[in-house]
Amino acid sequence: MIILEVTNPASSVSLVLFFGTIGMLALTIGLIVFIIFHQRKVIRYQLKLQRIEQDQQKLLLNASIRLQEEERQRIAADLHDDAGPLLATARLYLNENLVNLDKSTQLQSIYNAKQIIDDTIQLIRNISHSLMPPTLKNFGLESAVNDLFQKISGSGSMNASSRFHDYKERLQAENELIIFRVIQELVNNILKHSNASFIHLTQNTSGNKFFIRLHHDGRGITQNDFNKLNKSNVGLGLKNIQSRLKVLHGKIFFEKDMSQTYYKVTIELIKEEDNKLAERE
Amino acid sequence: MLQLLAYFTEILPIIFYLIFLKRNRGEGLWVIFLYSLLSLLTELLFEILQRQIIYSIFTIVEFTLFSLFFYISLKEKRFKYIPIIGALIFYIVAISNFTNKKFDSLSVSLESILIIPYCILLLYEQIKDPSIIFVYYNKKFWVIIAFFLYFSATLFLYIYYSTLSAEQRSNYWLINNFFEILKNILLSIAFIMKKNDQRSYLTDNLDPDI
Repeated sequence: MIILEVTNPASSVSLVLFFGTIGMLALTIGLIVFIIFHQRKVIRYQLKLQRIEQDQQKLLLNASIRLQEEERQRIAADLHDDAGPLLATARLYLNENLVNLDKSTQLQSIYNAKQIIDDTIQLIRNISHSLMPPTLKNFGLESAVNDLFQKISGSGSMNASSRFHDYKERLQAENELIIFRVIQELVNNILKHSNASFIHLTQNTSGNKFFIRLHHDGRGITQNDFNKLNKSNVGLGLKNIQSRLKVLHGKIFFEKDMSQTYYKVTIELIKEEDNKLAERE
Repeated sequence: MLQLLAYFTEILPIIFYLIFLKRNRGEGLWVIFLYSLLSLLTELLFEILQRQIIYSIFTIVEFTLFSLFFYISLKEKRFKYIPIIGALIFYIVAISNFTNKKFDSLSVSLESILIIPYCILLLYEQIKDPSIIFVYYNKKFWVIIAFFLYFSATLFLYIYYSTLSAEQRSNYWLINNFFEILKNILLSIAFIMKKNDQRSYLTDNLDPDI
């Protein structure tokens, strides 16, 4: 009936009404379909991002597990290969037959055993210090970093210096350890790969941000390289840096200096009070 | 036949709202229930009294309820002014053109013109809301679609209603009846569907290794 009326040329109102209604319906249905498909597309994209993030987290988790295992193996090797033989040798000096020996031999054996035990104590102390540097524990990040840089400079192979501009209040001990480990890893990388002649570290704060910058004149990496290495299966140390900084809600930036002469690494952290707030949120 | 079916389907949203009352608490769905109830009562009253004024009053009440629903549903504060301003404009036009003799074409057309952008606005808010993962798992989506389709389909009919002949009116009124049925079915779907916990979708997709 409606079609018949529309086909009647006299009824222009009917025509407008018919096509207007069809047009409105087409627009409405089109809009609804568009919304549904658009949303599906957005969800697919979000899921893809989620998956990428999960993969990244997996890589970081694997890296941190591998690093932990390597650390355990190193401690086990130190204890087994160094402390074990030392203590076994000390035991040899102090065997049951010692009472049957003459006094001077006894004294010599006891002296040797004492020497070996002293060496073992030193060895265990070194292992313990490598796990938690005493300077860091007792005097804080600034002293520990200065100490580390002095040791590097002392070796004569590289000029290393550090300067803390605004570090009156110490961070929490566990956070200081994380930052120190990150600095250690970065310095280690510079020493191993960059052929730099100097490293300079500066610490600053700005607003609620805490910055640590490392400059060196060797071969370095940029943010793109860092992101690529982070996504690949290599670059265990860098992944470890990333996972440590994640704990502190920190960021790291690798860039080449404006002068194109130096490489710059910036660690950006939120101050502890703000960080706690962020964690709670 | 279609007219009868349209009357019959008017009862469906009311029944389903009451059956699944627990599912439909909150979210301002009570406004839609009230609208369905008043719509049914209006039809019954019109059948008994045969007075055009019933529809004229109902149009004002209907738009007030829609404005309230959109006001409750819109989340962004700056958008909340829109149904208020729209309602003011509508009241001025509806009251100044209030008639008890013929179909209130102008008021109903203005109502459609205002409701369509409200629906688009609410849909836009829904797709922007990160807590809504799939819009079609949301009760309000079906309510919006019901009104969006109904008012889009009947807009031109209401605009040109006064210019149509009696025969044309009865013919074209089929559009209104058909989309009224569709609207009531969609509202029933909204009232029947479970309150969807959109978070379960996210947790289902999370890798258990992490």
